[in-house]
Order: sequence, then structure tokens, then C-alpha cells
Amino acid sequence: MVDLGAITLEWGTMLTQLIVFLILLLAVRKLAMGPIVAMMEKRRQHIANEISSAERNRQEAEALLAEQRRVLDEARQETKTILDRAAKQANDEAARIIAEAQETATRLKNEASAEITREVEKAKAELRDQMAGLSVLLASKIIEKELDEAAQKETVDKFLAQVGDRL
Amino acid sequence: MHHFSPRVEWMGLVFDIPTIIMMVVTSLIVLLVAVLMSRKLTAGVPGGGQNALEWVVDFVTGISNNFMEPKKAAKFVTLGLTLFLYIFLGNQLGLVLNVNTAHTEVSEDFFKMLTVSGTPEQVEEKAHQVHEELANAGHGEHHGVVVAWWKSPTATASVTFTLALMVLLYAHYLGIKKSPGGWFKGTFLNPIHILEDFVIKPLTLPLRLFGNIFAGEVLLAFLLSVGVFGSVPLFVWLGYSVFVGSIQAYIFVTLTMVYISQKVNDDH
Repeated sequence: MVDLGAITLEWGTMLTQLIVFLILLLAVRKLAMGPIVAMMEKRRQHIANEISSAERNRQEAEALLAEQRRVLDEARQETKTILDRAAKQANDEAARIIAEAQETATRLKNEASAEITREVEKAKAELRDQMAGLSVLLASKIIEKELDEAAQKETVDKFLAQVGDRL
Repeated sequence: MHHFSPRVEWMGLVFDIPTIIMMVVTSLIVLLVAVLMSRKLTAGVPGGGQNALEWVVDFVTGISNNFMEPKKAAKFVTLGLTLFLYIFLGNQLGLVLNVNTAHTEVSEDFFKMLTVSGTPEQVEEKAHQVHEELANAGHGEHHGVVVAWWKSPTATASVTFTLALMVLLYAHYLGIKKSPGGWFKGTFLNPIHILEDFVIKPLTLPLRLFGNIFAGEVLLAFLLSVGVFGSVPLFVWLGYSVFVGSIQAYIFVTLTMVYISQKVNDDH
């Protein structure tokens, strides 16, 4: 034993302290630290599980979102195609109808002018026929009246006035 | 006023009875606290006791992580936790209770227990002190031979030296186990290191703790003995002692981790 007044070192006390502390250390390790370490390991695993499951869910959600986006894009594309086709069809139809109308109008116009030309020709021919008949009639009348100049002049004027009226 | 401590000599070894009682009491309280707090542990949301325990474990882990890689530090958390709880609770125990017995008559066996010491001269001196106290019993402040049965175990040098030497030897053991050559080079090649490892550390580590707690208890005993005038300073000093006890436990555990890390870390 070392005795320096307040500071005393007794081998017995020291040995006892060593043994008591080692027993305490073992007891704490077995009774407290064991369960704590086990619990912390369990918590660590729990958290790791939660994180990995969250990660999995996130990936799943992302895949679903991409799928949804793809489907939506497809639908949009399809709608656009259908609308374009419909517009093109309507345009074609309109153009076709206009062309048809134009054609019909041209045909009717041509037919009408042909008809008019034909009628004019017919009228001219008729007039020519009548002129021939009238010429013959005139000749016979002149002959009948024996070439009276005054009468003839009157007759020719009359005739010409008649022709003028006819034409 | 002088406090006596009865000692027993057995097989050439001296045992300080009040100190041994207090170290056992402290150990039991540490164990009780640790076991009570670690009951009903859950990996989910922790309750009150578990919160406190986890805080202490995190605290000690934080100290050891400061000086070592977390993987190495994890091995010393139990040691640090036990040391911290033992020293912290031991420091506070001396503040909560005061069990003194005053003896005006001393039997022959008890007289022997009071005067156990290192050398015959010291035994003689102690015997003289006991006789003096017995003679003055009943006069003023003298109540006879006063034995303090309740005190901080850490207010005894034997306790702090044991804890400190245990830690230092453990650190050396770890150093030798890791690499005997490296340990030899790191310890003996530099005279400063020899001085540090075999004189400075073994003296400063235990004496710092012992000095703080012992001085605190001496002042407490003095303030208790002066009566009414001591009451206000007594409460101030009690509060300060709680603070000192906590800081000293923290310092002891921190230095333990520093000394261990010096022996187990790769870079010296």
C-alpha cells in the first residue's frame, strides 16, 4: 500500500476495482449492448428495406408514367392522322364537285351555243328559200305589170321594205 | 475535520471498505440503469428509456468516431459506454448522499482497521490522529472519529488509477497485438514517447479525475461543517460539482479513446 495522505493506493482495493469493473463490463456487454446492437442492426435492415422498396416503387411508377406517356402520344398521333385524312378527303371532294360543276356548265354552254348556231343556220336557210320564192314571185309580178317604171320603183321599194322588215 | 476510512489487510493486500462498498453500489446502479433502459427495445419509434440509452450510445460512439474509423471504433463502444456510465454515475453519487458515522469509542479491531497504512511510521501517525480525535470528542466541532461511508468511488485514487492503468495497458496490448514491431518503434525509439507512455499518461489520466472529484468532496464536507453560512455556497458548489462530474467522465472517456486510437491507428 502506498500512502501519500489523500492519495492512497491499496493493491487490494485496486484488484477489487479491476475485478468489479471487468464483471460490470461483461454484464453491460451481455445484458445491454447485445440487445442494443441487435436492435440497431434490425433497425438498419428495416431502413435499408424501406429504402429499397421505395426505390422499387419509384422505378415502377416511372415505368408506368413512361407507358402512359407513350400511349397518350400514340393516341394524339392517331387523332392527327385521322383529322388530316378527313381534311384531305373533304378538300378532294370539294375540288371534285367544283370540277364537275365547271364541266357541266361548260358542256351546257357549248350545247346552248351549238343549238343557237344550228337555229341561226336553219333560219338563214329558210330565209334563202323564202327569198328565192319571193324573187320568183317578184319576177312574175314585174312581168305582169309590164315594167312600169314608177310602178316598178314602187314595187322594188315595197319589196325592199318587206325584205328589210323580214331581215 | 478529518475523515477516516476503515481498511482491512488480507493476504498482504489492503482493502478500503467504504470505497469497495461504493464501487459495488455504483456498478449495480450502472447495471440497473443499463438493463432498465435496454428493456423493451424496439427497432421502430423508441420510447423514453430507449431514447436516453440510444443517446448515450450515440454520444460514446461519437467520441470514439472522432479518433478512429467507425469500424475500429465500434469495438470500443462497450468499454467507452461502461466507463462513461461508471465514472459519471460514480461522480454524481457522492453528491446525493452523506453517510457519516462518528465514533467516540473505538474497539481494538476497529482501531486496527483505521490505522492500516504503508509503513510502520505512517501507522504510528494515524494512530496518533485517532487518539487525538478521541480525546477531543465532544469539544466544539469535534465529534470523535468520523468515518465517511458514502462517497464517490472516483474520489479514491486507487479507483481512478486502476481504471486508467487498465485502459492504458489495454491500449498497449492492442498496439502489440496489431504489430509488435510498430508498437516497439512507436513507444521506445523516442524518449518523449517513453516519458509520455510510462510517466505522463499513467499519472495525468487518473489524477485529473481523482483530483477534481476528491477536491469537490473535500469542499462539500467543509461547506457542510460550517452550518448555515455554508448553505448558499453549498448549493452553488453542488450544481458546479454535477457539471464537473459530467465533464470529467467525458474527458476520461475521450482520452481513453485517444490513447487507444494512438495504438491502433495506422498513422502515428
